Amino acid sequence: MKSLDALRSQPRSDSSGPSKLGRGLGWFSVALGLTEIATPKLLAKLVGAHPTRGAALALRVAGVRELGTGIAILMMPNRPLPLWLRVAGDALDLAMIGVAATHRKANGLRLAGAAAAIAGVAALDMIASVRAARAFEAANHPVVFSVTIAKSPREVYDFFRKLERLPEFMDYLDSVKQTDTTHSTWTAKLPAGGTVSWNAEIVDDRPGESIAWKTVADAPFELDGRVTFAQAPARDMTEVRVEMKLGVLGRAPSSLLAKLFAKPQVKGDLRRLKQVLETGEVLYSDASQHVLPHAAQPAKPADHVKTTQLPFIPTPPTADKGAHQ
Amino acid sequence: MRATCWMGKQKVSVEQVPDPQILNARDAIIKITATTICGSDLHLYNGFMPTMQKGDILGHEFMGEVVELGKGVTNLKVGDRVVVPFCIACGNCESCKLGMFSCCENSNPTGWMPEKLMGHATCGAFGYSHLTGGFAGGQAEYVRVPFADFGPLKIESDLTDEQVLFLSDILPTAFMGAEFCEIEPRKVVAIWGAGPVGQLAIASAKLLGAERIIAIDRFPYRLKMAIEQAGATDVINYEDQDVQEVLRDLTAGRGPDACIDCVGLEAHGHGAQFAYDKVKQTLKIEQDRPMAVREAILACRGGGIVSILGVYAGFVDKFPLGSLMNRGLTIKTGQCHVHRYMKRLLGHIERGELDPSFVVSHHMNLDDAAKGYDMFMRKQDDAMKIILRS
Repeated sequence: MKSLDALRSQPRSDSSGPSKLGRGLGWFSVALGLTEIATPKLLAKLVGAHPTRGAALALRVAGVRELGTGIAILMMPNRPLPLWLRVAGDALDLAMIGVAATHRKANGLRLAGAAAAIAGVAALDMIASVRAARAFEAANHPVVFSVTIAKSPREVYDFFRKLERLPEFMDYLDSVKQTDTTHSTWTAKLPAGGTVSWNAEIVDDRPGESIAWKTVADAPFELDGRVTFAQAPARDMTEVRVEMKLGVLGRAPSSLLAKLFAKPQVKGDLRRLKQVLETGEVLYSDASQHVLPHAAQPAKPADHVKTTQLPFIPTPPTADKGAHQ
Repeated sequence: MRATCWMGKQKVSVEQVPDPQILNARDAIIKITATTICGSDLHLYNGFMPTMQKGDILGHEFMGEVVELGKGVTNLKVGDRVVVPFCIACGNCESCKLGMFSCCENSNPTGWMPEKLMGHATCGAFGYSHLTGGFAGGQAEYVRVPFADFGPLKIESDLTDEQVLFLSDILPTAFMGAEFCEIEPRKVVAIWGAGPVGQLAIASAKLLGAERIIAIDRFPYRLKMAIEQAGATDVINYEDQDVQEVLRDLTAGRGPDACIDCVGLEAHGHGAQFAYDKVKQTLKIEQDRPMAVREAILACRGGGIVSILGVYAGFVDKFPLGSLMNRGLTIKTGQCHVHRYMKRLLGHIERGELDPSFVVSHHMNLDDAAKGYDMFMRKQDDAMKIILRS
């Protein structure tokens, strides 16, 4: 239930809305970008560069970049990334001024003035970017992966809670062993061969509702996860939601890192969990049984393919083929 | 075994590939006795369907004999003669329970691909790109069939292959398209495209009691078959006639009660509109050339039904949404929920009320698949439905 509450958006308070500074910088980018595209030679003269064809081309390219950044800022006013792109753009612009200064016909005084103006705007960009990043972190957008499974919450919980069957659908895992009621050892296969192991602890266990776990110190990464099992509306099914924070390379666990590193894996895991619970095992195709892309034709005997390791759970089809005419 | 492989745009060849194996408990291995080249295979052949890979085995309409079963299949025996639905469905998920078998939630292992392109995943299908799971197809000597405890239909009567083979795809597809039209006796239906699906849609509309059935195409041999064998009452050759005008005249200004698009994303047309779409499609600005469905929308009577059976892959341009909205039309569409119709249609065939075998135009050896594709694409030798056997 908790994950669903976290997902529901709250009315935003005024202070967390898009900053005026950020918006202003967005419009500034659009205006500057359009000027650079439309009148590059005039602009080159204005900032003191010798208006060669090369300079005009460079300004046009910069204009396209500037326009793109501006549009991105205006479309995503609450995201830090487009503003960071502005900071990066400032650095490029300063580098261009530096190159322009090497030309013998350049106007040094005007170029210095332009550089000072860019530095001033860069300072504003930094302020806006840091503010946006802080606001984004503070909003603490949860990262939730979800799937609906045609089994009761209790059945899904029971399957999940055994832990030993997790490698069935979490296909990067080799094994999970419970060492006592709350502790377990997880072993993953490494892409280059070999394995890596870590320990995890169940920190909150509510039968039929949710399981929360985290990695124990000395794991190669930090994981803070919770899976919830909720009755789906209007159907006898379960809404499974996985909420997680991931910390890698010494960084504290965060939703953002989970989104960056775990998204495709966890989405696939949930798809396979649904297959196991609803149809009895993970379904493979001629292409999907290979780790790398493969043509849709049967594997050669020598090919190394993924196969189902654990016993098939008999799940006879229940749909009625004649009932829907 | 030998199998028809996609080797690139307009290049297929019969290659020696490994035999299929049981991969899942609910699998069966089928020895193919008859398979076909489907109109929708031409979209793959001509390179319009994304995510094809060199070596993909083609073919999604086939029947055969069970030669091996996974331990989870108890309703079939080795030696059973079966027709296999082109779409793969588990029979356990919510979509299957609702009878929406081509929206099966568990049969597409590469579901993340269509999720990106279409918002949600589609079902798995045989030999139809990696968007639909990357399953080897049936234009081969053998094929692996997942969820064999749910999909394949056992044929116990002595009907010929030609009479039951199309239960795999085009007959249920055509029938579903006609059923969408909510045909009551005396209704008027117009059908764009008189290829194999169009012919069987005409036959289905007739079976359901339509009074007037108008077939639209540009090949005289196809229009002739529509009138003489399928049961069309009128035909329009759009090379000589203005479709909208003739349809208005035939219905005294109302427009057909329902329109069926049996054409899909490689529609052919005339003049500026055709050139515009062809250029955009070649540049990949739009995936689909939607001429037939545009015409169908404009032609349909106010409050009528437009049934879309033609395959579309992605995005279209100049879609007459204004006509659709302001005239209160209903669109019904979908990949066919084959499992829903197989038994019912087999009944019609067994009782002699419907014989889909009239669309068969050629029998060829599997080894000549490449020639078959080329002939079918060019509509040579009055090609309609080509059956391959090894």
